[in-house]
Amino acid sequence: MVDPHDRSDRFELVAACEGATLARFADDVLEDDPPLSVRQDPKPQLLMQRVVEPVERRPFNLGEVVVTPAEVTLDGHRGFAMVPGKAERAALSGAIVDAAVAGGHPLTEDIVAELRRVADRHERERARAWAESKHTTVDFETMEDEE
Amino acid sequence: MGYVAVTAGEELIERAEELFEKQRTAGDGEDVAVEQIDEQLGRLTSQAMSEAGLYAPRLAALAVKQAQGDTVEAAFLLRAYRSTLERYDETEPIAPSEMVASRRVSPAFKDVPGGQILGPTKDYTQRLLDFDLLEGDAEDPTEEWDIEDAGDPEDLTNVMELLREEGLVAEPDEAGVEEPTDTTREPVTHPPERDAVLQELARGETGAVTALAYSALRGYGQVHPTLAEVRIGELPVRIEHPYTGDEVTVAHAEVSESEAVVPVYAKREDPQFAFGYGLTFGRNERKAIGMTILDASIQLDGEDEPAENPEFVLDTVDGMDSFGFIEHLKLPHYVTFQSILDRIRAIRERKGLNEDGRVSTEADDEDSERDSDDRTPAAEPPVAEVSDDD
Repeated sequence: MVDPHDRSDRFELVAACEGATLARFADDVLEDDPPLSVRQDPKPQLLMQRVVEPVERRPFNLGEVVVTPAEVTLDGHRGFAMVPGKAERAALSGAIVDAAVAGGHPLTEDIVAELRRVADRHERERARAWAESKHTTVDFETMEDEE
Repeated sequence: MGYVAVTAGEELIERAEELFEKQRTAGDGEDVAVEQIDEQLGRLTSQAMSEAGLYAPRLAALAVKQAQGDTVEAAFLLRAYRSTLERYDETEPIAPSEMVASRRVSPAFKDVPGGQILGPTKDYTQRLLDFDLLEGDAEDPTEEWDIEDAGDPEDLTNVMELLREEGLVAEPDEAGVEEPTDTTREPVTHPPERDAVLQELARGETGAVTALAYSALRGYGQVHPTLAEVRIGELPVRIEHPYTGDEVTVAHAEVSESEAVVPVYAKREDPQFAFGYGLTFGRNERKAIGMTILDASIQLDGEDEPAENPEFVLDTVDGMDSFGFIEHLKLPHYVTFQSILDRIRAIRERKGLNEDGRVSTEADDEDSERDSDDRTPAAEPPVAEVSDDD
């Protein structure tokens, strides 16, 4: 069970959350004009995806994945987020949301509730996709005994 | 012969570019949204991402739109964009067995653990045009499915591990590779390490990978594999969280994977299987299987067959390289061509050839002191030599 209060779990939920939702929370958090400094500008960057190939079990570089990281300090609390793709606003909003929860901002419970909904939705979508795939599981019959 | 700069009106070049853009926008249909390409033309964006070596579905859709459906051009655009970005880090190496599969079939084992999951495919249906699509039918044909809860996605046992448990596959030596070769940062040297081969094949051009693999199957090689399995699924993209140090998932990248078994009983005292492996971004089974055949072929390290020669394969499979070299021939080569013309004219003049290609009588008289061999065209060096302008 994922816990949005846990920094690592929260990171994954923020990464999976829609950018518009993160932006809405970030705007609400910043409404009271808390001290905010951007420690890392939200700029698209690359992650080289490494995979261990199963033949000789040695790692190789499959290719790069575009992500957008951002880091802020909000009212003395650090926040870090990284989102898939080129998504500067979502990344900065995510870092603000992360810092807000870390600092116990008054909106924390609203944010946590939304992140839990994100987790539930993803769980449902994942289960549905797996069930659909399993629905196509086939037993191939060999025809060698048939005349 | 080196290149020389040519000048042309910038305005004219812009006009040509605008005409190109008009070809996309001049029809009566509505502008195709990037979202539509991303959601509905996944094979195109997959191919562009795979050949770019860059996973970014939305940017790939944009590139496909900009390139008007030319996947190699789209891959070029993605690689150019990639070259402007910093690298944040390398991910923790991940085992493909962590893939959440949407499709897994094993042509080798009928009763493979976890089952034969066909997933989304039209492999077993006829290739007939569906004229209903002309009407823009957007209904979900699975809407009425009565699906049972299948629980959490299973880890599907890898067929290679099954063979390994039976001792039919050699246990690999400790790889001892901490930092794999990164061919985006260092040139491939020959003979190449296997990690470099896999990285280059993973971003090879689909048609080139398919054609070279096919050459092995058509007899220009020794590898005719049985596919142990083919999978489509999502691999988690993980980093170390900078605050907690935990491994955390940023995204999931859709990939295509293929493994092949190649019997080598005729060549070794201990009959076992050799393997080929293919993995690439996006859904592109054809390329993954082609990569598998080439990986297996390259391990034979032959020089007689194209697919077994790593230098030949890696020099020809990259779409950017071949695209650039082939298409650059359209660009002005006026100095090169003028030089060739001058040489041919000089040779013809020296040989006394007239317009019909025959040696003129006058020339014969003038050149009577020459050795007769000099007049035979076949004995002359070829006039069309390999250009050294590139």
